[in-house]
Amino acid sequence: MNELIDALMVLLVLMNLRLLGSSRLAACIRIVATEGIALGLLPLLLVWSQTSASSVEPGLSGRMIFLSVASVLTRGVLFPWLLLKAQRDAKVRREAEPFLSYPLSIIAGVLTLVLSFWLRSRLPPSFASGPPLLVPVALSTILVGLLVVVSRRLAISQVLGYIVMENGIYVLGLALVREIPALVEMGVLLDAFVAVFVMSIVTHHISRQFDHIDVDQMDSLKG
Amino acid sequence: MKVSYLLWAVLVLPAAAGGACLLLRSVRAALLWVVVAVGAASAVAAAAAWSVFTGGPIEAGAGWLYLDALSAYHLLLLHAVFLLSSIYAYSYFRREASFGAAQARRFGALWMGSLAAMALVLVSNNLGIVWVGVEATTLLTAFLICTHVSPSSLEATWKYLIMCSVGVAFAFIGTLLVAASAGSSHLATGDALLWTHLRAVAANLDPATLKMGFIFLLVGYGTKTGLVPMHNWLPDAHSQAPAPVSAVFSGFLLNTALYCILRYVPLVEIATKNSHWALDLLVGFGVLSILIAGAFIVFQHDAKRLLAYHSVEHMGIIALGVGLGGLGTFAAMFHVLNHSLCKSLGFCSAGRLGQMYGTHDIAQMAGSAHDAPVWGRGFLLSLLALIGLAPFAIFMSEFQILKAAADRSAFGIMTLFLAGTGVVFVGALRHAIGAAWDPPVRHPTPEHAGVVDRALVLVPLAILLVLGLWMPESLRLALNQAADVIRGLPQKGGF
Amino acid sequence: MTALLVNILLPLILAPLLPGIINRTKAVMAGRKGQPLFQLYYDLWKLLRKGAVYSRTTSWVFRAGPMVALAAVLTALVIVPLGGSSAPLHFAGDLILLAYLMGLARFFIVLAALDTGSAFEGMGASREVTFAALAEPAFLLGLAALAKLTGSLSLTDILGGLTWQIWSFGAPELAMVAAAVLIVFLTENSRIPVDDPNTHLELTMIHEVMVLDHSGPDFAFILYGSAMKMWILGAILVQIVLPGTGAVSPAHLGVSLAGMIGLAVLVGMVESVMARLRMVRVPQLLLTACAFSVLAIILVLRRS
Repeated sequence: MNELIDALMVLLVLMNLRLLGSSRLAACIRIVATEGIALGLLPLLLVWSQTSASSVEPGLSGRMIFLSVASVLTRGVLFPWLLLKAQRDAKVRREAEPFLSYPLSIIAGVLTLVLSFWLRSRLPPSFASGPPLLVPVALSTILVGLLVVVSRRLAISQVLGYIVMENGIYVLGLALVREIPALVEMGVLLDAFVAVFVMSIVTHHISRQFDHIDVDQMDSLKG
Repeated sequence: MKVSYLLWAVLVLPAAAGGACLLLRSVRAALLWVVVAVGAASAVAAAAAWSVFTGGPIEAGAGWLYLDALSAYHLLLLHAVFLLSSIYAYSYFRREASFGAAQARRFGALWMGSLAAMALVLVSNNLGIVWVGVEATTLLTAFLICTHVSPSSLEATWKYLIMCSVGVAFAFIGTLLVAASAGSSHLATGDALLWTHLRAVAANLDPATLKMGFIFLLVGYGTKTGLVPMHNWLPDAHSQAPAPVSAVFSGFLLNTALYCILRYVPLVEIATKNSHWALDLLVGFGVLSILIAGAFIVFQHDAKRLLAYHSVEHMGIIALGVGLGGLGTFAAMFHVLNHSLCKSLGFCSAGRLGQMYGTHDIAQMAGSAHDAPVWGRGFLLSLLALIGLAPFAIFMSEFQILKAAADRSAFGIMTLFLAGTGVVFVGALRHAIGAAWDPPVRHPTPEHAGVVDRALVLVPLAILLVLGLWMPESLRLALNQAADVIRGLPQKGGF
Repeated sequence: MTALLVNILLPLILAPLLPGIINRTKAVMAGRKGQPLFQLYYDLWKLLRKGAVYSRTTSWVFRAGPMVALAAVLTALVIVPLGGSSAPLHFAGDLILLAYLMGLARFFIVLAALDTGSAFEGMGASREVTFAALAEPAFLLGLAALAKLTGSLSLTDILGGLTWQIWSFGAPELAMVAAAVLIVFLTENSRIPVDDPNTHLELTMIHEVMVLDHSGPDFAFILYGSAMKMWILGAILVQIVLPGTGAVSPAHLGVSLAGMIGLAVLVGMVESVMARLRMVRVPQLLLTACAFSVLAIILVLRRS
C-alpha cells in the first residue's frame, strides 16, 4: 500500500508547487482545500497499509473514521468556504506582487524539498520507519507554508500559508506519533478551525477599515 | 471534598462564567460579574495551590490533569494578575464612553475564556492539550486587542495572530518530536504525551530527537513569550490593546508560554545527563533579549511600548535565571512574581494616564506626578521598580540572578547582564523622571481616583516593597518547590 | 538493417507529416476544412526549387546557419531510437551528445538571425535563447532521472529499458519526467502555450521571427530541421509514456508510431483550447518543468 501513500505525497508536493506559482486567490484556496481532503484520507491509508503488511484484522476504528471525516469537512469544506467568503468581501482576485516572484517561489519550493530530504537523512534512525516519503514531504510542506506566510502580501494568502503549515504538521504528526490521543487531535483540529475563523473575521475588519487586505501596507506601528 | 475536583473547577468555573457573561444587559453588570467570577476562581485556585504546596502534586481525570509546585505557583500568579486587572478593568472601561454593552459582553466572555485557556495550559498534564491551550489563548486574546476597532489596533491584531499562530505551530512540531523521542523507551502509545510519564522515563528518552524538539519548542513558545528575535508582535499588541488587556498580556500571557518551555527543561536535562544544553540555550536567548530590549527602551516615546519592551527584557531575565541553574532557578521564579505584579501596575497606570492625557506619548505626560497624584506616581514607582531600584523586590531577584552567574563563574554573562540592565536603568529612568516632574505640556482631565484605585496602586507596591526587604518562609519554600520541578529534583512537598 | 530503416528512413519520410497533423486537428476543432495533410511536403518541394535571396549585410554565417542546424538535427536522429529498437549509434553518454546537438542547431539559427542585423530577429533570438536556457536544464535533469532509474547512460538503453515494470513502481517520477519533457517539447517546437507558430505579429513571435529573412532552400532546410526536431523530442516523449516489454517487436513499433500521431493530435487540441501565455509567464512554466525534473530525480535517488 506504500505506493498509494507515496503517490498521495507526490500529489501533495505538486499541489504545494502549484500554490507557490499561482496568483489567483480563488485557485489557491481550492488547491489548499484539495490538499486538506487528500490529507483527511491519509490516516485511513496508513492504517490500511499497516494492517495489510502485518495481516492482522483491520484496525479501522470508528474513532479513526470520525477523525478523518471531521478533518475532511474542516479542511476541505469549511476552510475554503470561509476564505472564499472573505475573498468576495474584500473584492480581491489575485495577489499582484508578492515579495518573492512566482518563478522564484517555485525554485524555493523545490529547494525546500531538497532541504527536507537532506534533513531526513540526518535524522535519527527512529524516524526511518513507515512510508519513506512521509517525513520529508511533511517537512517540505511546513516550509512551503512558512514561505507563503512570509512572502505574500495579502491577508488571505497568509492565512493559506498558515493552513498549509498546519497540513504539514498534521502529516508529520501521523509519521512520528501514530497514536495521538483523539482528544488532542480534536483539540488541534478545533484550534486550526478557530484560527482560520478568527483570521477571516479580522480580514473582514481589515478590508472594511482599509479598503484593502494588503498586510504590507499596514505599517503604522514601528520601533 | 476531593482535591481533584478543584482542578476541574479551575477550568470549568471561568469558562462557564464567560458564557454567562453573554447574557448580561449592561456594561456595569458585565464588568462586575467578571470581577466576582475571577474572585471566585481565584479562591478555588488558591485552595488547589495550597493543597499542592502542603501535600504534593494532585492528579485528576485519569492523569490528564496534573498540578505540581511549578504549575500551582503559576496558577496562583495567573489568578492574582487576573484579579488585579479585572478590578482595574471595571474602573477603566467605565470611563470610556464608546464602550457599549455589546462590547462589554464580548469583553467579559473573551476575558473569562482566556483565563480558562491559560488555566488549561497550567493544569493539563498532556503536552498536546497544553499546546491546544496556548493556541486557544492566542485566538481568544486576539479580539481583546481590537476591543476598539481602529486601523492600528487591527494591524497589531493581525501581526499578533499570524506571528503567534505560526510560531506556536512550531511548538507543536516540537511537542511531536518530544513524543517521538519516547519511542525507544517503550511507553504505552497513548501516554507518550503525558508529562508525568515522560518525566518518569526521562533518562531513557532519545537525546537527539529530544534536543531537536526542544529547539522547535523554544522557537515556538519563545515567540509567544516574546524572546528576541521573535518579539516583533509584542510591542504592537501591548500598545494597541486596552490597558487591562495589556496588563494581562504582559503580566501573565507571556509567562504562560514561558512556563511551557520550562516544563520541557527537566526532560531535556535528564535525558542529556545534565549537560546544561537546554539551560545554555535559555541563557543565550535571555541575554539577547535583555540587550536588544535595552536598546529599544532608550529610544522609546510611547509609554505602553516602553512597558512592552520591559516585558521583553524581563522575560529575558527569567530565561537567563533558569538557564544559570542553582540559585538562578529560584531567583527566576521569584522574578516571575515580581514582574507580573509590577507590570500589571505599570500598564494600569499607563492606561489611566493615557485616558487622562489623550495620548500615550511620554513627553506629553510630563508633570504627571503632580497632575495625577495616584496614577502618575503609580507609573513612576512601577517604572522605578521595573528597572530594579534597590528596596523593591525586583532588585532582589535580579541580584540573586547575578549571584547565580557569579557562582558559576560566568563572568561574561554577568557583564552582559549588567550592561543590559544598566542601559535599561539609565534609559528608563530618564523617561520616568521626565514623565513625573518635567514642566507640564498639556492639561489632563481630572483624576477622580477612588479608594479602589488607590488600593490598586498601593497593594502591588506594598507587596513589592515588603518582598524586597523580607521574604516569608512559606514563599521561600513554595519558590523552592517550583524551582525543584525545573531543576529535575524529586518533589519534597509540605511547608 | 531494420534498425536503419526504422530509425533513419522512417523519420526522414514521416517527420514533415507531424505539423500537418497538428494543423489538421486545429482545423477540425475549429470547424474549418484546413490545409492538406501533406502541406509541409508541398512547401518543402516548392522552396527547394526556388532560389535564395541574401541581404548584402549578411555574411557566411547567415548562409551556414540553416545547413549546420539541419546537419546537427540529422546527426541527432542517429542516436535516438524508436519503438524499442536500438539506435544505429549508441554509447554511454549519448544523451549529452543529443542535448549538445540540439544546442548546436539552435546556436546557429540564432547566429544567423543575429547576422541579419534586424531588430526583430535579434529580439526573437534573445527570446529563443532565454527560454532555451530554462528548457535545457529541465530536459537534461529529466533524462538524468531516467538514466538513474534504468541504470544506463545511453538513450537506447534508457528508452529500451523502460518497461511496464518500472512504471508499476515508479509511476510518480516517470509521470513527472513525462510532464517535464512535454513542456520542453512544446517550448522547443515553438507551440502554444509558449509560442504561437501562426501569429502574424512579429512582436509576439519567437521562433518564426528568427527565420523571416531566410528564403528558398535555406528556409526549406529550416522547416525540415524543425519538423525533424519535433520528431526526435516526440519520439523520446512517446517512448517514456508508452514503454515496451523490453524486446523489439513490430507491435511496439506500431504503438510508438500511433503514439507519435496521437501526440500531434494532442498538440493540435492543446493549441485549439489554450491561449498563448504572456511572455513573462513562460519562464514560470519552464521552471515548473525544471521543478518536475528535480522532483523526479529526488524521488529516484530516494529509491536507490
